[in-house]
Amino acid sequence: MTLPPILRLVVRNFVSNFDPISVVVRFGQPAVTIVVLGTMFSSIVPASQTGGQSYTSFLVPGMVAFQMVSGGVVSGNLFWLDRRWAMVEQIFSGPFLRSEYLAGLVLTTLLFSLFGVAVMVGVAVPLIGLPAISLLDLATVLATVGLGGIFFAGLLIALGTRLRSANAYFSIQSFLQLFLIFLSTVYYPVGPSTPRALAAVINVNPLTFAAFAIRHAFANQLGPAVLVNLGILGALAAVSFVAAAWGFRSMNLGPIQ
Amino acid sequence: MADREVVLRTQDLGYAYRPGQYAIRHLSIELGRGEVLGLLGRNGAGKTTTVRLLTTLLPPTEGTAWILGQDLRSGGRGLRSRLGVVLQAESLDFVSVERNLDLYAFMWGVPREVAKSRAEEMLELFELGHVRRRKPWALSGGERRRFQVARELMHDMEILFLDEPTVGLDALARRRILKYLRERARRGLSIVFTTHILHEADMLCDRIAVLHQGSLLATDTPECLKQRFGGAREVRVEFGDALPPAHVQEFVVGLHERGASVLQPEGAVAPGMDTSSFEFRSDKAETLLPWITTWSGSRGHVLERLSISEPTLEGAFLGMIGGGEQDGLDEPETERRTSTNGRPGNPPPPGTSGGLRRDMGVAK
Repeated sequence: MTLPPILRLVVRNFVSNFDPISVVVRFGQPAVTIVVLGTMFSSIVPASQTGGQSYTSFLVPGMVAFQMVSGGVVSGNLFWLDRRWAMVEQIFSGPFLRSEYLAGLVLTTLLFSLFGVAVMVGVAVPLIGLPAISLLDLATVLATVGLGGIFFAGLLIALGTRLRSANAYFSIQSFLQLFLIFLSTVYYPVGPSTPRALAAVINVNPLTFAAFAIRHAFANQLGPAVLVNLGILGALAAVSFVAAAWGFRSMNLGPIQ
Repeated sequence: MADREVVLRTQDLGYAYRPGQYAIRHLSIELGRGEVLGLLGRNGAGKTTTVRLLTTLLPPTEGTAWILGQDLRSGGRGLRSRLGVVLQAESLDFVSVERNLDLYAFMWGVPREVAKSRAEEMLELFELGHVRRRKPWALSGGERRRFQVARELMHDMEILFLDEPTVGLDALARRRILKYLRERARRGLSIVFTTHILHEADMLCDRIAVLHQGSLLATDTPECLKQRFGGAREVRVEFGDALPPAHVQEFVVGLHERGASVLQPEGAVAPGMDTSSFEFRSDKAETLLPWITTWSGSRGHVLERLSISEPTLEGAFLGMIGGGEQDGLDEPETERRTSTNGRPGNPPPPGTSGGLRRDMGVAK
């Protein structure tokens, strides 16, 4: 039995992209962050600063939210490498549609993001215990990471369709990662003492919306505010996906460096 | 060829990067089933653009094309699933050679058992067995190119497009691949093949389309192209003895009067000069041979050897594109030679790659 084209592309993405070292680094780094940073900062950050919970409990949903970036980076980089090594052309000259290739990348993002979520939760359980969340909370977490992954993958793919140099692509990708993680509420909350300019930037960061939704899901506190955050994230994911699709349609398949 | 099944036909096909800037224009070609069509042309002539158009990687901006009975513009996946493409750019996945073959077959939906045996066949045929566990980027240039062709042959197809598949290959590997492709064509695979190596186009192709600056100059069999555009041919005459100066003068004047350009001896007869052998170039070399035979007999000279160069595809190609000194082909300088009779694009002299000579077999 032959799998549908999209699934064949997803399998190919995994097989071709499965590099044990990069997988360990990509998922190991945030896991180590939870263990080391969580433990160290829990002793110096008072619970009053993190909503009445330990710093580790505050950090875990943030790192879960960060998996949207990890998943997005996997697909963004995979697309860039496919383009750099002419596999995009090779695939497009085969029995695949461009939309299927894009859908394959999105599906790959989702699977990598969800795998990352499982790893983060797995690492966190010995430290903070199993979060007592409902199915709806779980669905919220997965939807948030999924939408966030689509947003970031779409952004990187759209960039990848325009840029023609590896240096430019990887510099921008690193900058976006740094920007997203440090100017968000993944590591720290926005409080009254946060400078207003910084708070303004942090509050429009998609990772902040994701961290907000996931923290509330972990705390069984779903409500209209979470829905709004999820809605914004969904809208951003849609815009980013459309940008990637448009980039695909108009992409010059010529050689790049 | 009259009753051949046409699997690809283009009519005034063209592609413009932007309005008025054409990469290829008015391309009208046909490809029969089991036929090998060569696309020849200088760098930038439009060969790769043509391949990209015909494999749906680029949308044509004008003209029409039917491939395997489908309109190129609307064929889409259904059409592409019947084509194979080896692109000019190296494409590879970040897994071993063997895994690449396996993965590519999987992507094309080739059943696992078929893929397994085909991979073994390809690894052996393309001499990649010893590097099967290596990553493609760790291979030599020639091995990588062989890998590209091998990978494409992992799936079934009706038309195979090969964009310079033999770049970087040694002579033996090139010969082996061409032989295999010839065999596949005999079994019904139609092939579109671009190359800069005219000798291999001559070897492999049933017909050749010559492109120049985005236009089709001619399409014909290699033999017909050589006859039509092959240009002047070189003749070497060797007498059994040295000719006296008066006979040298008479012979050379006789050749000139018959439109030949004498290459050797050059200038006036001087002491020590070899006057037993002559080389000249002529558009009508074969019509000169009876005169040479008669003249030598009447002057009492034994005609020891008479050889005439075959027209070459290279000569025809250079003749067509008006090349010569600035042809841009990848040959050593010594192989470029401008005609002494004012016609550009003559075959290279004997002793170089293009100087295939036919011995006329004159007995001593």
